[in-house]
Amino acid sequence: MTRPLAPDVVRGLTEIVGAANVITDPDRLLVYESDGLSAYRVSPRAVVLPGTSDEVAAVVTLLHLEGIEIVPRGAGTGLSGGALPTPDGVVVGTARMNRIIEIDPENRLARVQPGVINARLTEATQPYGLFYAPDPSSQSTCTLGGNVAENSGGPHCLKYGVTSRYVTGLTVVLAGGRIVKLGGAGRDSAGGLDLVGLFVGSEGCFGIATEIEVRLLPIAEGVRTLLGIFETMEAAGHAVTEIMGSGLLPAAVEIIDRATIEAVEASIFAAGYPTDAGAALVVEFDGTEAGLDLGADRAEKCCFEAGAREVRRATSEAERAALWKGRKKAFGAMGRIAPDLLVQDATVPRTKLPEVLARIAEIGERYDLKIANVFHAGDGNLHPNILFDRKNAEELDRVERASTEIMHLCVDAGGTITGEHGVGIDKRGYMSLVHNETELEMLRSVRAVFDPDRLFNRGKVLPDPLAET
Amino acid sequence: MSTTTGSGSLASALEAQRERLLPCVHCGFCLPACPTYNRLGDEADSPRGRLHLMQAVVDGRLDAGSDAFHTHIDRCLGCRACEPVCPSGVEYGTLLELARETATRARPQGKLTRALLAVMGSPALRAVFFLGGRTLRSLGVARLAVRLIPAGARLGGIRLAFAMLASSSPPGRRLQKAPVNAVPSRAIGAVAVADDDSVGPVPRGSRGRVAYLEGCVQRGLFERINQATVRTLEANGYEVVPVAHQGCCGALHAHGGDLRNARRLAGANILVFEGVEIDYVAVNAAGCGAAMKDYGTLFESNQEMSTRAEAFAAKVRDVTELLSQAGPRRGAPVSCSVAYDHPCHLLHAQGVAQEPLDVLRAVPGIDVRLIDRADECCGGAGIYGITHPELGGRIGRDKVAAILREEADHACTPNPGCMMQIGAGLLLEGSSDVAVHPIELLDESYRRAGYYSATGDSQ
Repeated sequence: MTRPLAPDVVRGLTEIVGAANVITDPDRLLVYESDGLSAYRVSPRAVVLPGTSDEVAAVVTLLHLEGIEIVPRGAGTGLSGGALPTPDGVVVGTARMNRIIEIDPENRLARVQPGVINARLTEATQPYGLFYAPDPSSQSTCTLGGNVAENSGGPHCLKYGVTSRYVTGLTVVLAGGRIVKLGGAGRDSAGGLDLVGLFVGSEGCFGIATEIEVRLLPIAEGVRTLLGIFETMEAAGHAVTEIMGSGLLPAAVEIIDRATIEAVEASIFAAGYPTDAGAALVVEFDGTEAGLDLGADRAEKCCFEAGAREVRRATSEAERAALWKGRKKAFGAMGRIAPDLLVQDATVPRTKLPEVLARIAEIGERYDLKIANVFHAGDGNLHPNILFDRKNAEELDRVERASTEIMHLCVDAGGTITGEHGVGIDKRGYMSLVHNETELEMLRSVRAVFDPDRLFNRGKVLPDPLAET
Repeated sequence: MSTTTGSGSLASALEAQRERLLPCVHCGFCLPACPTYNRLGDEADSPRGRLHLMQAVVDGRLDAGSDAFHTHIDRCLGCRACEPVCPSGVEYGTLLELARETATRARPQGKLTRALLAVMGSPALRAVFFLGGRTLRSLGVARLAVRLIPAGARLGGIRLAFAMLASSSPPGRRLQKAPVNAVPSRAIGAVAVADDDSVGPVPRGSRGRVAYLEGCVQRGLFERINQATVRTLEANGYEVVPVAHQGCCGALHAHGGDLRNARRLAGANILVFEGVEIDYVAVNAAGCGAAMKDYGTLFESNQEMSTRAEAFAAKVRDVTELLSQAGPRRGAPVSCSVAYDHPCHLLHAQGVAQEPLDVLRAVPGIDVRLIDRADECCGGAGIYGITHPELGGRIGRDKVAAILREEADHACTPNPGCMMQIGAGLLLEGSSDVAVHPIELLDESYRRAGYYSATGDSQ
């Protein structure tokens, strides 16, 4: 199985980061065998937790000289196995690098270390009337380093866009320990090609970002949040098509199906979604006060026209927070229904939502699996959650087959294999569904610019012809 | 019973808890709530990591006697801050107790922990231990020792123990000398408290009959808080019923994984309290209250006892819950500012957040300042500060820094364990202040208002 590191390598790492921050005991390493996608398990050879950019560079240099693979890891909350260790690799975690270096309210910028938690940045910038827009559902725990690697989205990315739109500068440790500064001072590119844009979303295959500069936005003056209750998922899907087709630009449009409603309502984050409903639709508008009510009124009308049984409007910040908490904690709350779950992540053209959802339900029935849907409907980003118990090997096999079928379904509908979770290990096999060999070769070449020896996150994202399977 | 090798029989305590482990889906939402993970950055020191280790023991992939299991389960503060943020509702506190039982059966705990649990579990040893403590405290030896013992790793634990002892001293004149002129009260969030006295005097007993847990540390070092408990409850219309022969509640044993002795102590107390007719059992220590409210779970494998335990647990209330439920009645002004910190076993384990603030709000002239990160553990965590002086000290120093930033007259928290940890931290930082319990302030307010004049004032 996992080969232990040579004693002199361990000694070298210990000299850089201190004994407490080098983990080699196989028992302790068990804790790192999965990220947020617990269906996969691989123990690393070691975990190293550096505290500074220089330490990261020294660690990477040493591992590179030894030809040892490196797996970067933030909070380990990713859902595509992007931070899954490799059997020959060493995990380099950024948990200790959790300092907000600078908030520059005049220029609406912040500089942070990669281990800073997404939500903490917004908390810290709130006193200046600013916030950090990308809001993954795991924002209370996921880190900005991980967000950069995955180019993370979130409910409000419908209006605000994903991480790449907000990262303006990066300090990156490349293979061999070279430190480069990309972009900076509010510019995505310091001149020439947009290397920042290239790095964001590289899923840990290019290097480790040790300092991140992001753009902040002023907090919206007002917000309106609606909850539409529907008898069927199909009706909710139609409402989304109506709302988006009417020219409105909501900040977020989210759908939660019945199975998810049940899980959430049983949890401490119960939001008051009716448990007998077929689907719930959360629609939010934000911006200057003028016009907000108009938008909300029109969205309400769209809901009723699509057959909504009821439309509620959050009347206080507490009600709004509860509505969102139910949505954002939905993934964790699934633990109440089944011990394991596989969250799929794919996008389809918005107009295909009702049809694709019906087909997913049919796939679930055929494989006798419970599938709960909670997703960013506004941009057609689906998250079917397949619930299972890993101890049932036969069921696990059905999960894999159903999952593959869902992926093919989405691609056939004109969609793609990931909306925001990344390819990681889980979607690697699907890359050829959306890329031909020439495109894959281009991706490999780009990667080689950053990491010619393929030591960073080997075996992830690209179906690497040279990597062991 | 005690096996030294193999994980099969050792894992049995956890095996039975397989169901409790299932809800964890590894989402990681608990990570930022964990004080040890926040400081160490190692996922093995996070709730998710510890649950993963427990699962590995249940699955037979990890030896319960291994260094990894022992170290990381032992290093948990048991603050349960991970529970309110868990979407799946994992019962972490219960699982931790079971994991500790499994770990200690495979490999005994440190001598210090065992000695302290033995003392708490025996009335005679306890009496001697606390008599010694009180003597050292009143002679000023504890305070002197803090000054004489050099700061450093070797004697750090002993120095901290003396500092904790010294910090259990009454606030005394500092509190009694607080001005009586009523500046406008400020509650949390700067909302002014209404000046009208809506809760007037209530006939004693009209709100129910209450017994109270005398407790080990409370009786040994904080008798003044027990007395304040009786007086403030009576002033709010409760009839306080004495319960003789009561003992330790077993909380320290349960939290430490000594479930056998926890059940023995809990069972004895349930029996004694069953002997009096009461509506409530009041507790003024958060750790004890949390354990007592959870007696049903402690006895879940014993059908006869679990019913009785649940009936008992249903009567348990933190003293601030009872006072808040009664109003509470307003007293006379005690003009001072307090830096307030939530005890974990009230906030996370019992979900009691507002009631202690209600108690403070009944004291005219008080300025309550909620400290930064008041929802994070102070590092006291029972005997953690003594068994893990380095990490506990680090967590404690962060807490003390947050308190000092408020520049308040008193640190205030409704739990003796936290009061000692915070008080010790203040002392080690060179401050002469001690932490106060909210009911001490209410008690002072009532004394000034003359509510006790008929019954006499034992202060």
